[in-house]
Formats: sequence, structure tokens, C-alpha cells
Amino acid sequence: MSDYKIIFSGPVGAGKTTAIQSISDIVPVTTDEQASDMTRNLKNGTTVAMDYGLIKLPGTERIHLYGTPGQERFDFMWQILTNGGIGLVLLINNHRPDPFGDLHFFLNAFEEFIKQGKVVIGVTQMDQADTPRIEDYHLQLENNGIKIPIFDIDARVKKDVSILLEALLYSLDPGLDD
Amino acid sequence: MSEKQVTPIRVAAIGMDQRQRNALVMLFSNHCCNRYILVEEESSEICIIDLDLYGGERLWHEFRQRHPDRPLILASLKPRQVENGHTLFVKKPIPVIQLMGAIDQLSETLNKATGRPIDQTEPIAEARQAEPQQIKQTASRPARNVASLMTEAQETVFIGTSPDIDPDNQEQLAKIYYDPQHYLQGHIQEALNQATRHNRNVSIEGPWPAIDLMIAKQRIFVDAGEKHLRPFCTVPDATREVELRFNEQQRPTTGMRDYSVYAFIWQLALWASRGRLPSGTNLNQPIYLKRWPNFSRLVVTPHALAISALWIKQPRSLLDTAISLGIPQRYVFAFYSAANAVQLAGETRRAVDTLLEPPAIEQANNRGLFSRLLQRLRG
Repeated sequence: MSDYKIIFSGPVGAGKTTAIQSISDIVPVTTDEQASDMTRNLKNGTTVAMDYGLIKLPGTERIHLYGTPGQERFDFMWQILTNGGIGLVLLINNHRPDPFGDLHFFLNAFEEFIKQGKVVIGVTQMDQADTPRIEDYHLQLENNGIKIPIFDIDARVKKDVSILLEALLYSLDPGLDD
Repeated sequence: MSEKQVTPIRVAAIGMDQRQRNALVMLFSNHCCNRYILVEEESSEICIIDLDLYGGERLWHEFRQRHPDRPLILASLKPRQVENGHTLFVKKPIPVIQLMGAIDQLSETLNKATGRPIDQTEPIAEARQAEPQQIKQTASRPARNVASLMTEAQETVFIGTSPDIDPDNQEQLAKIYYDPQHYLQGHIQEALNQATRHNRNVSIEGPWPAIDLMIAKQRIFVDAGEKHLRPFCTVPDATREVELRFNEQQRPTTGMRDYSVYAFIWQLALWASRGRLPSGTNLNQPIYLKRWPNFSRLVVTPHALAISALWIKQPRSLLDTAISLGIPQRYVFAFYSAANAVQLAGETRRAVDTLLEPPAIEQANNRGLFSRLLQRLRG
């Protein structure tokens, strides 16, 4: 059996659990439990260990989908989770007080993925907060010479999550067969 | 020669719950070659406190009352000036190597201070590796179709069926161009320019249903469905009697269709171009893509993602793009027309871009896997 993994990361309430649910072939294992700190105001239950989903490919290949814990205090898990990952799906909640702060925090944390062009960004909750716009996110990154796919997504919608992953794959290899 | 047995450094995680502790056990075991071991506070040499935990500050001060000199690592998202001889600060997110370095540094300090080897007789609270998570294997959910690609019918409407042309054949060449100014696309683009310049809302009035552009929100409201609008977008000079009118007040938009201005222009450009190019586009000049289009909210033409990925890496001519990707020219032309209409793509002006021959597409090691995953995502 060949196993690969894709990482979903982002701040609390960005939709990591939901995005994995949208595309997983199994009922995702979600380790949500009642948060006991500041994050409890943002979400009824927040992910304290990790989420896990799976995409089954023909044959024995499997794509494991891991969601990093939403609380930054679990960050030592990130390096373990991301080691050997195909790529990173970073979800940013546009409705949080400082989405650009979140963006830079997570991009800094996953610097290696950025260097290898293995990152796509999904901006969620744009129906709740229409600014900053997608263009503003691009401008933030272009100042650092980074050009990666950034899409406005609804993590509940499979098509939105799928196209984000498709963009990740084409970023890694534009010559993929359609 | 056998490797010297190294006594693991005993580390305690103060105030962390079982899942965090499990993660640390996994970290120490799998990634730190068992150089460290997670123990209870009483038997620890070094402790870790995450100040961002609920009550983290209190945990720290209580810990110091219990153990004034025990080496301690404090972690937080915010930089703190807390370091002294037996306390180190690490800013989160903590790279594993940095955590290891901090533990080693404190351990060395401890050994120098005590001048004795570490006592190994104290009980180890948690030496076993964290149990892997149980994966609930259930029946697969049926894969739904993904609509990121156009259907054949949509493809005909948006892109047409024109065959590839020979760029040296003038007759064929003449057929691949259209003038956006002769279509509704051009009028909407002009309306956007005017609205932006004057920072005012604009109505685009003509024989079509009402179209209002709200500049602050970057939205367009149309009082009709696509079926009624499309004829004005696809027939040249169907829009001669057009008037742009500034609106001081926002007009009621109840019942009108609401589009992002860029998604609307993108769609109009696809309708107007039908696999052709704006007049004057040079087939051999490299094309740049300023940034990835927001594909989740746009009509995605065939191979648009591949073309984007290619142009983001390096400008490439339209003809070379079609050849490199092995796709019909009309797909490249259609995508360029839409991206150009929203000012995301254009011809490069730098001489260096025309001097350098674009490199062959670099094939990923996992191309086969990626292709299979792509197929799976598209249902």
C-alpha cells in the first residue's frame, strides 16, 4: 500500500475539519472536544488533537488528510504532521480580527512548504466579512515574492475544496494529464 | 564497536492534557530518537510550560514556587523576556530542532551545576509511544461530480470548436481575433474604468436588461438571467446604443442577479471571445499571469489551472503554451481573453522575456499519483 498525505492548517474556525469532511472518502475521525481556553468563544468544539480523513485512489494508493490542531499551542505537532506531505492547504478565516496576521503566522510556520511551492490558500467566511479581498491577500504575499493560488472558498462545498487541491497539484506539476 | 547507551533526558509537560502529552511522547520517540522521555513533574529534570494555555501564567508562577531552580522552557506566541540561568524562552511555532536545542542546553547547564550523572532510578510515568489514532473505517461516501470542468455543451458555448491555426496562414490568422469594444464586454470594462476613476456607481444602459455597477462593493447587478443577457454578449455591435450613467444613490437591487465585477467581466469575455483573442494579441510574445485567478468563483475553462501554473512560473507565448501542454489553441486563447479582460494576464514588455526560451515543463516525481488524485477529485 502506498500512503501519502496532505495537510490542512489554519487558525481556529477556519474550516479545516469541514474541508476534510467535504472530500474524505471515509467519515473523518474528528477529535473535537470542548475547548477550555480562549478558543471556546469562537467555536463550540475546537480540534485539540488532529482531524483525519482519507481519499482512496484506485489500487492501493491512499491520500491521508490531516488537519492540524486549531490552537497554536499544539504547534509542535505541525512539524511531525507535515514531514513528507504532498502539500499544504492553508485556510484563513476572513472573519477573524486579523486575517493577515494569521496568514503570516502560518506561512512563517510552514516556510518549507512555501519554498517548495507546495501551498494553496483558501479564504473562508468571506460571506461574513468581504474584506480583505482576495486581491489584498495576493498583495500581502507578492511583497515577499510569493505567487500561490488563493481562492475564496466555502469549506462545506466539495467543489471549492476540490479546486483548491487541483490548483495545488498543478502548481506542483503544470504538465499533469487532464 | 557498540554505540554508547545514552540516558534519556526526563522532561515534564506542565498543565498539558493527555493528547498533548501523547504528541510529545510521539515527538520524542519518533523524531528525537528517544533522547528525551516524558515523565511526571516530580521525576523530571526539565519542564515545559506553554504560556498560551488557559492559566499558563499562573502555572508558571506556581511552578517556580515549587521548584525555584528547576530548568524550565517557556513557550508562547508573543516574545517574552523571561530568560535566566534556568529558564529559556522559545517562540512558537517551535521547530523541533529548536525544542531539542533548548532541552539540551538546559540539560547541560543542569549537569554542570550538579556535577553528577543523572539519576535513573526514579519512576517513568509515560515511556510508551502514543497509541496511533483509531481510524473509523466506514463505507465510502459516493463521490459526487465536481463541476470544476465545463460540460461539453458549456464548452461549445464558451469556447467554440475552432481548430488550431497555422500562424503563418494569414487567412486563418484573421479568424482568431475579436474586438472586445464591439461587445458588451468592452462597455462593462469601460464602465468599470469610469466608476473607478470617479469612485461613483455606474449604470450601463442600452437595449439589454438593467445593469448596475456598484464600485465600492465591486459588484454588478443584472436584472435578467444569463439566457437573456447572453445574446448581447455574443453578437458584435448588438450594443451600439449604450450609455454610461453615474448614479449618486444606490438603486434598489431586489430580485437582481448579483455578480462580482471580475467574475462578470470574465464570463462576458468568454462569451465574446469564444476561443479567440483580443485584436492585436501577439501569438509569439510571452504572456505573464499577474496572479492566480480566484477560480472557485469563476467559470473554469478546460486546462485553465495548468495554463495558470505554467504562466505563474514563467511567461510563455500562447502558441508555446498550447504546444507545451499538448492542448488545442482555443483553450489557451479563451483563458487568455478572460484573464486579460480582468487585467490578470498580458504580453510581457521586457526584452529579456523574449530572449529566453521557456524551459520544458518539469515533471514531478509523483506525476502518476497526482494524475490519479486529479481524476478522483473530478469525480
